[in-house]
Amino acid sequence: MTIDELRARAAERQQTCSQIKKMIVSRLDLEIDPDWITDDQPLFGRGLELDSLDVLELYVAIEAEFGVALYDSEMAVFGSVSRLAEEVNPALRASA
Amino acid sequence: MASVLASAHPQETVYGQVGDATVPLRFSSLDEEYKVLRERAAVLDLGGHGLIEITGPDAVAFAQRVLARDVEYLTSDRCMMTLLLDADGQVVDQVLAFGREDGILLESSCGAGARLLAHLRANNDEGVEITDRSGDLTVLGLEGPYAWGVVGRLIDAELASLPFESVVDTTWNGADVVFARTGFTGEYGYQMIVPVEHAADLWRQSLEHAQAAGQEALELAMLEVRQPIPRHEVTEGATVVEIGANWLVDVTKDEFVGREAVLAAFEAGGGRRTVGFSGGEGVPAPGTRVWVNGQDIGEVVHAVHSVGLGATLGLARVDHDLAAAGLELTVGGTEVTTLTSPYIVPKSWSIPII
Repeated sequence: MTIDELRARAAERQQTCSQIKKMIVSRLDLEIDPDWITDDQPLFGRGLELDSLDVLELYVAIEAEFGVALYDSEMAVFGSVSRLAEEVNPALRASA
Repeated sequence: MASVLASAHPQETVYGQVGDATVPLRFSSLDEEYKVLRERAAVLDLGGHGLIEITGPDAVAFAQRVLARDVEYLTSDRCMMTLLLDADGQVVDQVLAFGREDGILLESSCGAGARLLAHLRANNDEGVEITDRSGDLTVLGLEGPYAWGVVGRLIDAELASLPFESVVDTTWNGADVVFARTGFTGEYGYQMIVPVEHAADLWRQSLEHAQAAGQEALELAMLEVRQPIPRHEVTEGATVVEIGANWLVDVTKDEFVGREAVLAAFEAGGGRRTVGFSGGEGVPAPGTRVWVNGQDIGEVVHAVHSVGLGATLGLARVDHDLAAAGLELTVGGTEVTTLTSPYIVPKSWSIPII
């Protein structure tokens, strides 16, 4: 794969991650620039420090924005923004 | 600085120098200790973490200025992890800050106590009292999917289910203990700050319910969940954004040492970012070049053999537009694949505290 093809693949993931970050900041009224959140950042406990109420809000937001229902998923899907990106955009998982 | 628990460690303990501290790297074998940490409960000798107390009328104002997250209302029942930066935005250390009735207690990263102390004293414009407590207090940790059960058997079952980053002042066998729900590995994690004269007894008692794990197993488990390890990841000139430690910095806070430099680096964009990778043959040394079709795109920051993955696991700092999971890169002369964090899903995420 050429470096431009790799850049395109990276850009696809970064774009989905960026969409998720904007959704999190908007839905949870966070006072930060969405880009301040890193793709590898943990979302619960340490990291973004979301709690179980925030999870419920995110379930609804993800279904509305991406059409993906994660209600029965394991907590691991919230392990990082990049991990969540693979749930809402399975094409990323295929390339990972 | 040797561990105050050295006399209680088994004879076959292997020690190593980490910064200013001599710490137990392993007590038995890395594989065994890693499995204990990921599958049961491990006791950790965190004596290599310096403990520095900041007191006086301006203690909170001072801490608020030197710490990169907001500690103004950090009450004595809370702690938080954050960074200390220099004026250029370079990471001095990663600390756990404990709110105390008369100020703040800082726990340094492993082997960084002396550097943290020197930085605090050099920045003490407020004239606060800065006391190194590392000689009379030490830290023991418990980590693992069943660490909560050890807490129940050792001290008090109610402490096991404390919310994350909660702190309770309690006693154990007549000794004052600062007990905190913390965690470095994604597993259930707790810390006990105890007077050194009681530490060996607490260590031995803990070993009746759990097994000791050394620094190697701890750092491997930290890497697997992308918990920053300053001694490996803070390299010359690397910004907070390049390290990926943004979550330890609160940029909504009006003022702290290094804020302008961090924001300037963030707003400038570009540069490099850190991404995990796995695969290849052997464990590449820090500084090993990362390539794509003969083009140099970055370097290895830190790599180890992951017991959990059964393969090499590392971090690379590469051009920002190639810092993403799912890419095949060349490290040294071998192919690796970049990864999505966490690289291992902690068992604790699917085990409730009962």
